[in-house]
Amino acid sequence: MERWHAVAAVVFGYLLVTLAVGLLAGRRVTQSVAGYVAADRQFGLITMYFVTGATIFSAFAFLGGPGWAYSRGAAAFYILSYGVLGMAPLYFLGPKAGRLGRRFGYVTQAQLVAGRFPSRAISLLFALISVAAFVPYLMLQMSGAGIVFSAVTDGHISFELGAALAYGVVLVYVLAGGVAAVGWTNVFQGVIMMVIAWALGIYIPTQLYGGIGPMFDRIAEARPELLVPPGLDADGSPWSWGAYSSAVLSSVLGFLMWPHTFMKVFTSRDDDTLRRTVVLFPTFQLFLLPLFFVGFAGVLFPTAPERPDWIMPHMILSSGLPALVVGLFCAGALAASMSTGDGLLHGAASIAIEDGLAPLVRLTDRQRRILMRGLVVAIGALAYFLAIVQKQSLVWLLLTAYGLVDQFAPPVYAALFWRRATTKGVLAGLVAGIATNIFFLLRPELRPFELHEGILGVLVNAAVLIVVSLVTAPQPEEHADAFVSAREEPRTVLAGAGR
Amino acid sequence: MRAAVAHRLAIAFFIVQTVAVVYPGLVPFSRIEPRVLGLPFSMAWLTFWIVASALVLWGVSIVEARSRGED
Repeated sequence: MERWHAVAAVVFGYLLVTLAVGLLAGRRVTQSVAGYVAADRQFGLITMYFVTGATIFSAFAFLGGPGWAYSRGAAAFYILSYGVLGMAPLYFLGPKAGRLGRRFGYVTQAQLVAGRFPSRAISLLFALISVAAFVPYLMLQMSGAGIVFSAVTDGHISFELGAALAYGVVLVYVLAGGVAAVGWTNVFQGVIMMVIAWALGIYIPTQLYGGIGPMFDRIAEARPELLVPPGLDADGSPWSWGAYSSAVLSSVLGFLMWPHTFMKVFTSRDDDTLRRTVVLFPTFQLFLLPLFFVGFAGVLFPTAPERPDWIMPHMILSSGLPALVVGLFCAGALAASMSTGDGLLHGAASIAIEDGLAPLVRLTDRQRRILMRGLVVAIGALAYFLAIVQKQSLVWLLLTAYGLVDQFAPPVYAALFWRRATTKGVLAGLVAGIATNIFFLLRPELRPFELHEGILGVLVNAAVLIVVSLVTAPQPEEHADAFVSAREEPRTVLAGAGR
Repeated sequence: MRAAVAHRLAIAFFIVQTVAVVYPGLVPFSRIEPRVLGLPFSMAWLTFWIVASALVLWGVSIVEARSRGED
């Protein structure tokens, strides 16, 4: 038997187990929209922890992170900084948003914003931007699955077929089980990812250089420019501080604004569960370190991969590990890709229906579920098609998507914290922010200080929101107050406020 | 310590951290030496903030749980 046969066997075994876990979990949830989207608000701490971690760490961290460390050095460190800072606000605003969700029956962040600022246009814009941002993020995940398959099987399973296989499995369990399936498969995938990352991150530098310290000694001698931020640009020239810093800031701002991440506020059982998830979150962030070690291990390695994003599988294949370990890595990387991709697919489809279509057309619970499933397939197919034709780096895809979701930050914060904000202000800010973001995405050479287009968009977005709000009539005090000072209500009142 | 005070201190901590990990706060720490546990100093500096954040968030959650117990 050839080596790649054994690797493929481990991977297929893994895919089957994932499928089984997903299908079993999906059978336990009620068949309502709330059940399909928010898992009956029943996630406990362990599920929430792994769902959050596994959803956030994706092919981006597993392949893109090492790819940047390898080709652009300390530029990749921006990824170390934004996760915790992006997650921390959830500790303070999560319980408040969660209470509002329980009181008014919100399952998406657009419903929360449109609840405070009643406007179909705002809801529709949220839906459009969400789907537009989800597509590059999904492309990244699918490319990741394709890279892993094709690299470890010496191209016997092509990039296209590999991506199709992994996402075929994802489609089946997302269609069958909704978010509950996503939750339970992520618990399983989160554990696999963490173990594999640390094992490889310590093994590879030790085997090649005699340890992590000695590896950095060698790099400090040969390529010192790789070890100090802001690191290098894609062409090998020094990256600018403006670009590095605004990559951090735009990711911090956008982090919680990802609709699938924000939705966790509505899926968690209670405030304490949500808070504890935030407290434990930095432990997930530390798992980037071993992944960077593998990328750095490639810097002085005699052979180079075809493209920087392939460095992780390249190093694993070059270090003479047994087929079982290679297969397990493959499973870990696929877990990373799939555990994010499933949430994205599910999130994109439910948001398109809940926020894009539901405010315009009357839909029964059954119609919504059917439409949601159709959209899961359609969005998956679109992202797959784009993934197999595009050639950008994985990190670039995510940074571009972040520019779009950043524009949600001013409306969400205004809804929760600023009484004087008005519907017209929010709508004008949103339109101006999106326009600015798209303009600088298309004309990158015009960016001041090479700042990320998302940050430039947010600056315009927030400024317009404030100015227009101040010159339009304020909202009724009682209405704004219900959102800005949402206090804990007695359980009996909550039970009566049916949803 | 009351929960509201703990919240404010934590928010101040996160603001300081934001300054410390981008331009210009990161510039003085963007260096290779001294090495920490084998890591270049820049990488150790950014890792330090992750660990410190975990401790701060944990501390706030304890204060909060206690103050709720007193109610």
